[in-house]
Amino acid sequence: MQGMLDKTFVEPFRRLAAHFESVWPSLITVLVILIIGGAVAVTLRWMVFRLLTRAKFDRLVDTTGFGSAILRTQLFRSPSDFAARIVQGVCWAFIVLFALVAVEAPVANSLVDRFVNYIPAMLTAGLVLLLASAVSKFLARSALLAAVNAQWPGARLLAGSVRVLVMTLGVLVALEQLRIGLTPLLVTFAILFAGIVVAGAIAFGYGARDMARQWLQERMKPPTQEEEPFHHL
Amino acid sequence: MESVLSKDVQERLKGVGAAEIVVGIPSYNNVRTIGHVVRACSAGLSKYFPTHRSLIINSDGGSTDGTREAAQQAEHDTESLLLLTQHPVSPVQRISAPYLGVPGKGSAFRTIFAAAGLLGAKACVVVDSDLRSITPQWIELLAGPVLGRNFDFIAPYYLRHKFDGTITNGIIYPITRALFGKRVRQPIGGDFGFSGRLAARYLEKDVWESDVARFGVDIWMTLTAIAEGFVTGQAYLGAKLHDAKDPGADLTAMFRQVVGSLFTLMETYQQVWQSSNGSQPVPMFGFPFEVGVEPVKVNAERMVAAFARGVKELDSIYSAFLSHPTREALAAWAANTGDGFRLPDKLWVHVIYEYAAAWHHRTLDRQHLMESLVPLYLGRTASFVLEMRDSSPIEVEDRIECLCSEFEHERAYLSTRWLANGKENSHAGNAG
Repeated sequence: MQGMLDKTFVEPFRRLAAHFESVWPSLITVLVILIIGGAVAVTLRWMVFRLLTRAKFDRLVDTTGFGSAILRTQLFRSPSDFAARIVQGVCWAFIVLFALVAVEAPVANSLVDRFVNYIPAMLTAGLVLLLASAVSKFLARSALLAAVNAQWPGARLLAGSVRVLVMTLGVLVALEQLRIGLTPLLVTFAILFAGIVVAGAIAFGYGARDMARQWLQERMKPPTQEEEPFHHL
Repeated sequence: MESVLSKDVQERLKGVGAAEIVVGIPSYNNVRTIGHVVRACSAGLSKYFPTHRSLIINSDGGSTDGTREAAQQAEHDTESLLLLTQHPVSPVQRISAPYLGVPGKGSAFRTIFAAAGLLGAKACVVVDSDLRSITPQWIELLAGPVLGRNFDFIAPYYLRHKFDGTITNGIIYPITRALFGKRVRQPIGGDFGFSGRLAARYLEKDVWESDVARFGVDIWMTLTAIAEGFVTGQAYLGAKLHDAKDPGADLTAMFRQVVGSLFTLMETYQQVWQSSNGSQPVPMFGFPFEVGVEPVKVNAERMVAAFARGVKELDSIYSAFLSHPTREALAAWAANTGDGFRLPDKLWVHVIYEYAAAWHHRTLDRQHLMESLVPLYLGRTASFVLEMRDSSPIEVEDRIECLCSEFEHERAYLSTRWLANGKENSHAGNAG
């Protein structure tokens, strides 16, 4: 009876205790790394936030149009907060990897290699997105001003379309850098884009033939006296 | 200096030797009018400056319609000048040459300045090649005060239709007067007289890759002369009639070059306007007379519509640099586009001063900044036209004087905006 009890209950507990005894130093190590690393990450975030705020990073980002996009997510207080949290996130990734290496987890080395190899791609993708954001804002503003000054209807729609198009291209390039499966995205984009163009052409052709003819006639005819009424200078 | 001129032109100028008066005519596809302009200049030099060695230089931007040939072949009959006091000591020399550099009026002027320097000219005159109303007396009025009265810069004073020259009347003249203290009525008239000393000073400046090389050259010449203390006057030339505008020179580009150059000059001469106060008239040469001017058609309703659309569509751009009260006032007027549509003087002055500050602080890309001003300018022009529709030219001139006074009165507002950081000050201001 005693033997059966030992075999059923005591022995498993002994094995569990022995196993725990062998891994608990590692768990303590992980815990310490996470606590210290977490503190470092939070401190780093605070420092980066203060530094960027003082350097008027928010105003700089505002000029690219990225600032309003960040605020619209309602996840971040400001572009500085966004950047500080990214730094904190990257710091956490390193801490977790460090912890895995510290406990000699079987996947640790391969994870570290893959993560380190992925960093340049992530940086490139981030830069591409920032550049696309700035360029799309500039081109959208150029289109808006040109359309308004030329008295074209739908100026905002045109500007919005320019922005979406440039940002879409930027996102596609960024995804390519990140080596995320692009084929389905490209196919979807191509189908959508072609669909929009065809739908627009059909709608314009059927619904606004007269308007198109009138518009072209106005474009083709030479300017009249009334169109250049006086010398501004 | 010589690198401004091609080797061929240098050789031809060396052949001329020296000239006391240089008349420069920038051109680009002006075959219809340049012959008349060259004849008028030639007659003016023969009649009014017969004892001076003189040269007419046509600085051409690559015309393809035979402008250069027309300039070379234009002849006048000195015997037909009935009031000729004496025969010229030497015939008026003439050169037609392509200019180097950025295509534009400013680059053409640069060639003329360089030629004047090479020939040791005491006086220079520049006149547009599309003029139909130029007479020989223009040469006397523009060069005479320089040669005989030690003036350095003579601006033109034309009689114009009350609705003509709206950039001049609404922006350029008021700012020239309010900030630089001289009441030069046509700062961007295009036809000027200036001394060899001033031509040399112009040539020293490093501005020939900027908008000054294009349409910005007129305001640049005027403000440089005033701000650097050169003796300035103006000459009454009567009416200015010229060929239809260059179709390639659209309003937006012209506007950007002229107003952009003005704002850049406000930066260059910041110390000058910040220490100046009030304005003084400048001496006027010539005999004022009444003359008929070309009728002008203005479609104010279309301009009001452009203004209203611009205010509505461009609010996201205006919010980057226009103060909250200014934007509110603009929006209120954009919603009231009936017969009573007006853009009050104070609001317009604040708009221009806020734009100048935004230009200075680079709050927005400068080209975008200028393009965004076009709808507001059209609104102001329409407001002026509607208000002055039944007014006499004298009443219109008085009205422009009132606007200038408002620009002078609001100088402190400009200083505040100029010194403050553009964006942080976007909630300041109080426009009516």
